[in-house]
Amino acid sequence: MLVGLAFAASACGGSEDPPAEAAVKTPAKAECPAKWKADWQKLADRIEAPVYCPSWMPDPLDGDIDGQWNNINSVDPDGSYLLGWTWYEVQSGELHVNFRGQPGNAKIPTCQEVETEAGVTRRRKVPCFADPSGTKTLGEREVKVYTRNRGADVWHVLYSWEEDGTLYAVSQHVAEPLTYAQVVESLDRITAGLVRVDPAA
Amino acid sequence: MKLTRRQLVVGGAGTALGAALGGAGIYELVDRLAENGGGLPRRRAGGAEQHVVTLDKVVDNGVEVLVPPLHNEVVTATVKVDETRAALREAREELEAALLRLEDEFAPEPRGLHVTVAWGLPYFNRYVPSLAEKHLPLDLRATEARGRATRALIDSIRFPSDPDDLILDENEVAVFFRSHDSEHVRAGSKALFDDLGGLFGATSIRRGFIGGGFEGKQSLPKQMAMAAGVAGAELIPDTAQLFLGFTSSQKNTMGPGRIANHETIPGLTDQHPDGYFRGGTAMHLSHIFEDLEAWFLNFDFSERVTTMIRPETSVPQGTQTIAQTEEDAASADDVKRDAKRHGAFGHSASLQPASRLQDAIVGNDETPYPKGTAIPQRADFDTLDNPFFWSSRPDVDRLSDDPAAGVHFVVFNPTSDDFHRNRLAMDGVLPDGTELEIDPRGRGAGFNAVLNASHRQNYLVPPLRHRAFPLSELL
Repeated sequence: MLVGLAFAASACGGSEDPPAEAAVKTPAKAECPAKWKADWQKLADRIEAPVYCPSWMPDPLDGDIDGQWNNINSVDPDGSYLLGWTWYEVQSGELHVNFRGQPGNAKIPTCQEVETEAGVTRRRKVPCFADPSGTKTLGEREVKVYTRNRGADVWHVLYSWEEDGTLYAVSQHVAEPLTYAQVVESLDRITAGLVRVDPAA
Repeated sequence: MKLTRRQLVVGGAGTALGAALGGAGIYELVDRLAENGGGLPRRRAGGAEQHVVTLDKVVDNGVEVLVPPLHNEVVTATVKVDETRAALREAREELEAALLRLEDEFAPEPRGLHVTVAWGLPYFNRYVPSLAEKHLPLDLRATEARGRATRALIDSIRFPSDPDDLILDENEVAVFFRSHDSEHVRAGSKALFDDLGGLFGATSIRRGFIGGGFEGKQSLPKQMAMAAGVAGAELIPDTAQLFLGFTSSQKNTMGPGRIANHETIPGLTDQHPDGYFRGGTAMHLSHIFEDLEAWFLNFDFSERVTTMIRPETSVPQGTQTIAQTEEDAASADDVKRDAKRHGAFGHSASLQPASRLQDAIVGNDETPYPKGTAIPQRADFDTLDNPFFWSSRPDVDRLSDDPAAGVHFVVFNPTSDDFHRNRLAMDGVLPDGTELEIDPRGRGAGFNAVLNASHRQNYLVPPLRHRAFPLSELL
């Protein structure tokens, strides 16, 4: 039985099946599924910048912004958005995929880390994406890979790329029952199948 | 391809001691991955110690690094000898003869085979209790601190960061085999635990590997973790000496020469000048799981450096060998200051008030040791055992066929209490009794948050002359 889980800052995972199917196969012509496209179009219109709709997501997740698995849908006044989909099953694991975009801003966002020891709280500003570990080309885009991420992407592997001065990112949580390698496979497939949705004129 | 240990244990004999000793299991990969050392047999040149081994040196990132033997194995056991003088004499002669045969066949050095025989308190208590009372080294510092006689060999304790299900082992003997050639290791353990037939009842076999990554080659830990498909293997730096990505055997972080002997540091034990165990040392053996994904996904490189070494330590991205000279050694005040300022202490720094000489000394071996000199001689090695390669009590030891990243931690200190002082410091309990207000399993306490100890025990390593059934010749 599948049980939805309210978003916790670091949640994600999935069943055994999705990663096995997640070999990087770029569809000949990736398309944003019709059922999801209207919401992605609305997002692009709202932020007045292109967004990237997934043509594939690890089962049971989908890319439906109004769907049952979406649990983060946040758009800031400057158009920066964070979308997240989470599936969780007790004692089985979790899947968690995030999408980000920050129109007109190619800088890695800053996160505030808060640590409390012995009653003393310390805050420090740190890059939200850290430990760059190379680049890879997926579909038509070259992405940078980050392995130490913060905020909503804690314990995620994150791919980011820049386009027209905008930083985009897609990330997935490394958690039971998925291994790091399986998450990378999944992210490769998600990223390779992204479809650009431009704002309506 | 992900391999399970069961798939690779020869004949599927995961619970049969003989097959386990002879078969390499997943560690057959090590043979294929590493260049074995070879080398000519040679008799031991001299020296009173079992634990001291001369290691090759390389320079990495401008730092002198000792090259530990690539292949390592510890076999723990109970003694299966009658509790009589005659039986013990026969056993002693048999064991010593077997050890000498091994030394005839393999030089006692990394390219040959280095064997260290260590004895647990259960051996001394069962076979030679009165003699042990009289001859086991007295730890003078611990005796003064506790107000009661404290031997150099004491039971292990649970440390603040240890999990509740930690098992305190009660083995009577442990034999540590080290070589650059895995065949030599296998031959050694077979000679003592199979061919001797009935002298010992093995309780566990613990195997592992270290290094192999100098000169830019992919190291054994990286290759083995990838081959076994352990979680986070892809994140280990290619040339890392150990799974966690840093070089651990810098010359400056390893106790030099005889400093870890019972008798070398003046006033530490009663073994100078003529104690029975002069030339011996204390050994701690533990198994610790390492959560590689937590380490690499939850700590960025700079955090891994400050967590491993000390807050404010900064080195170029990707550095694996970080200098830790005598002058760099942190004092207790430094660690307290770090804890107050950063809410954290580094793993290495927290140890140093206990593990480094706080003042220059001239040892009883007449060697001058500068302030900041490291005392412990570590011999830890990475493993895929979960938690052991083989166990005589798989249910109790929670033996699993699934490979798991971890470390078999082996270290030689002058006394068990000296190790305890080091290990407590790693949890924020400093030698002066100060308990830092930092969660011993939290992110601020070195890398404790990614470690999970499964087993511990203290042993005593007699000098060479008494390595076989110590004290039994006095019965």
